[in-house]
Amino acid sequence: MVALVIALALFFDFTNGFHDTANAMATPIATGAIKPKTAVTLAAVLNLVGAFLSTEVAKTVSGGIIKEGTDGVQITPEIIFAGLMGAILWNMITWLKGLPSSSSHALFGGLIGAAIAGIGFNSINLETLLQKVILPAIFAPLIAGIVAYICTRLAYALTARHDPETGSKLTQRRGGFRTGQIFTSSLVALAHGTNDAQKTMGIITLVLIAAGTQAPGSGPQFWVIAACALAIAVGTYSGGWRIIRTMGSGLTEVKPAQGFAAETSTASAILASSHLGFALSTTQVASGSVIGSGMGRKGTTVRWSMVGKIAIGWLFTLPAAGIVGALTALLVKTGVVGVVIAAVAGTAAVLFMFFYSRKSHVGHHNAVEVEEAGQAVRFAKKKALARARARANDQKDAQR
Amino acid sequence: MKWLELVTVGGATLVAAVTVVVLYSLGVRLTAIAGDAEQASPRLKRSLAYACFGFCGLAVLFGLYLIIPYFSS
Repeated sequence: MVALVIALALFFDFTNGFHDTANAMATPIATGAIKPKTAVTLAAVLNLVGAFLSTEVAKTVSGGIIKEGTDGVQITPEIIFAGLMGAILWNMITWLKGLPSSSSHALFGGLIGAAIAGIGFNSINLETLLQKVILPAIFAPLIAGIVAYICTRLAYALTARHDPETGSKLTQRRGGFRTGQIFTSSLVALAHGTNDAQKTMGIITLVLIAAGTQAPGSGPQFWVIAACALAIAVGTYSGGWRIIRTMGSGLTEVKPAQGFAAETSTASAILASSHLGFALSTTQVASGSVIGSGMGRKGTTVRWSMVGKIAIGWLFTLPAAGIVGALTALLVKTGVVGVVIAAVAGTAAVLFMFFYSRKSHVGHHNAVEVEEAGQAVRFAKKKALARARARANDQKDAQR
Repeated sequence: MKWLELVTVGGATLVAAVTVVVLYSLGVRLTAIAGDAEQASPRLKRSLAYACFGFCGLAVLFGLYLIIPYFSS
């Protein structure tokens, strides 16, 4: 059972990785700052590094939502198994739909559902649930959105160039932001590693403690850290192209300066939150930033219908993963046969979704239509303009 | 309720992001000015721009330094 749970936890880590590649790499891919393949490789490496950097978050993963410890209920590997099942299935469904949804919420939802079904409603600490999951879900996109809005405004105000005499616009030369995006998106990937790989480490450590192979209250062991880091890196490398498409071009059109501002806000929000003790969801922060930066740039429209779709996805994350978790917990309760049925059904569902996704393939080649073509046209226009002007001058000279 | 922590996180996010964005934007702007044809001292502007980028990088590194427990212990 313990081995099964660890395998499942690592698979969850993998889905977490490819679900969240978009958070870091959707905007630089959309602006053409980094080539898609390079972007996911970079993100994978940085996730790997980030997972090793800090294990602060790992200790507080499920902390408190399910009353654990001596006076509370005992979390069994079975409950965690059921919770992970719920989280993985929901992650797969949202990926199929191309919705950026929070992997941590799916995990919480699955665990809560499993605990309710397996132990009873009194096993849930409602106040902690509100404080750790529901309020951050409201404030994460809000904080990130406002900061991204301010940053986008600042970035455009500081680089807007007008001719002092005529007041007409000069060449803006904001190409530098494209280079900057490489660094900021790397920072987001790094932050994701320090944040999200920790959750799986926490889960595996929880299982090991529950199984009695590790002393209670100790941190994650080295092989656990290494395995989780690898799983999330491989997941990131495989790239959730469907979600990248949504984040990169579905919400709003992204330009380099705007993407730079959005990524900076995302990275600061994730790093600040996970190290000041108010954990925010990576996905929700990133979506909030993209929307905020879209509102900050003049002449962009935010596709609110897509925003609404994503918001509904967020609302459903907790209950949907919870229901799957609860059903699995009920199955597992019946004994070994139940565990086998649950494992087989889960694998079958994941495989079905994988093959279903093959029908309409979204890969690195068609995830986001990079606007290189548009730029080529613009450059040509400028040259044509210059040529026309030169010709006009020549004619003037000739007339003289 | 952890309102204080929420405000701290919001504030830290704002300060960090604005610092990085302002420094980088100034760098981009100075590079643009240095690239202009009729410019008295492009070299000065360009070095100022690099200084901005440098400070921006330092700000990021300082943030990472604060975060990684290996350094702060």
